[in-house]
Amino acid sequence: MKVSVNLEKCFGHARCEDLCPEVFATDPVEGKCVIKNSEVPPELEKKVILAVRNCPEFALQLSESEAEKS
Amino acid sequence: MTLQFHPSEPNHVPPELIVDFDMFHVPPGLSDPTQIWHNLVREGAPKIFYTPRNCGHWVFLEYEDIADGYLNHEIFSTHQTPIPPIEPFPTMQPQGMDPPEHNVFRRILAPLFTPVAVKKLLPELHRRSAELIEPLVAKGRCDFITEYAERFPTSAFLHIMGLPQERLADFLRMANTFFRATDEAERAANLNEIYGELELMFRDKEKNPGNDVASVIVNARDANGHQHPWNDILSCGFLLFVAGLDTVTNTMASVWRYLAATPSARQFFVEKMNKPEALMPAIEELIRITSVANNPRRIAKDCVYKGITFKKNDRLLLVATLANRDPKVFNNPQTIDLDREVNAHVAFGVGPHRCVGSILAKREIMVSLQEWLKHMPDFWLADPQPPSTMFGGTVMGFKSLVLEWSKEAPK
Repeated sequence: MKVSVNLEKCFGHARCEDLCPEVFATDPVEGKCVIKNSEVPPELEKKVILAVRNCPEFALQLSESEAEKS
Repeated sequence: MTLQFHPSEPNHVPPELIVDFDMFHVPPGLSDPTQIWHNLVREGAPKIFYTPRNCGHWVFLEYEDIADGYLNHEIFSTHQTPIPPIEPFPTMQPQGMDPPEHNVFRRILAPLFTPVAVKKLLPELHRRSAELIEPLVAKGRCDFITEYAERFPTSAFLHIMGLPQERLADFLRMANTFFRATDEAERAANLNEIYGELELMFRDKEKNPGNDVASVIVNARDANGHQHPWNDILSCGFLLFVAGLDTVTNTMASVWRYLAATPSARQFFVEKMNKPEALMPAIEELIRITSVANNPRRIAKDCVYKGITFKKNDRLLLVATLANRDPKVFNNPQTIDLDREVNAHVAFGVGPHRCVGSILAKREIMVSLQEWLKHMPDFWLADPQPPSTMFGGTVMGFKSLVLEWSKEAPK
């Protein structure tokens, strides 16, 4: 599973960082989401899905990783 | 004086969209002030309606429209918005500006309120919270509003601006007058006093910069290397003063009122007290359900929105509590579910004007819960409460909330 952010839509609520700090951080200058590791480790998938569903701006998307596509 | 932003006569509003509704009027007998809005939904008000009260304004009832109201700044401006209209109205930086001009001060403030920046404030926030709570323990009773919920956000404001804690009494008095006074002369004198304090603060931080928000604002430079206009600096300080005080005060009031009446919820928080990752989703749920702030907008140009004619300068109120209990978006929206997993609430707005201090506000609530429950895990509403303590308006809340607890130390 991969996760990405649309920075046009992110306005820095940081709900994702609260829910899964292992994957999400906030850029110290822009105040917007930074994804530390877009390939989500299996043990964090549930937390990342929750982070995506809790984004008030709908700025996060999930997709299949390369390995899953093949 | 020409009134540049005054709404026109509402001749464009069809009679079926008019509802006689006064946002400042909270009738007796309601469980909490947000119910004035939810009653409109229960009574079947049109999902976009116009009230002639308070010089006239529109209200959206549904999440989808309220989110549009936050996001579509080309129609729904934050510039010169007060309901009822006041001209001239001070433009607060950056809140009162539309993008792209809005970005100038937003870029100064955004880095100061990120999770990492706020985390650095936590030890001092804990210390200040404890300092206010500890003297209360032995009393067994307090008015939570005046003895804690107003004090703590003001104390936090002094800290982030690098002002001495000794000024707490002065700033509390100024904030109280600002939020409560109705006399016009008193209000004008109060504004002068606040701006006078901000002037002194920024002049001092210009000469003696410290590691605080005021120093960053006054010493920021524009693209040409110049200081920003002095009036903008002052109005940004003013925004930080007014935006983070009564919103946090009244959110805490609703949260403590709920906890005082709900032993299982107190138990829930006591068990999770030292685990911020577990605490925050429950705090988000209480923020969703309280949603004390309503945000005015001004229609920027004549337009038709979803078949309804809006005229330039019409006012619109974005009511977050309505969006946050829209059954199309939230399961069991009227229920407080501390284990709610999906909760994309808009209590802090969405889009470019998302409350820049939202993370600080949430941490202030978290810190306060941690410090309070450490000493007073069990507390309840005094009976009786003072009469008619609820108020409506752009920030809804309680003037008084008397709590009691056992004076004996917790087991």
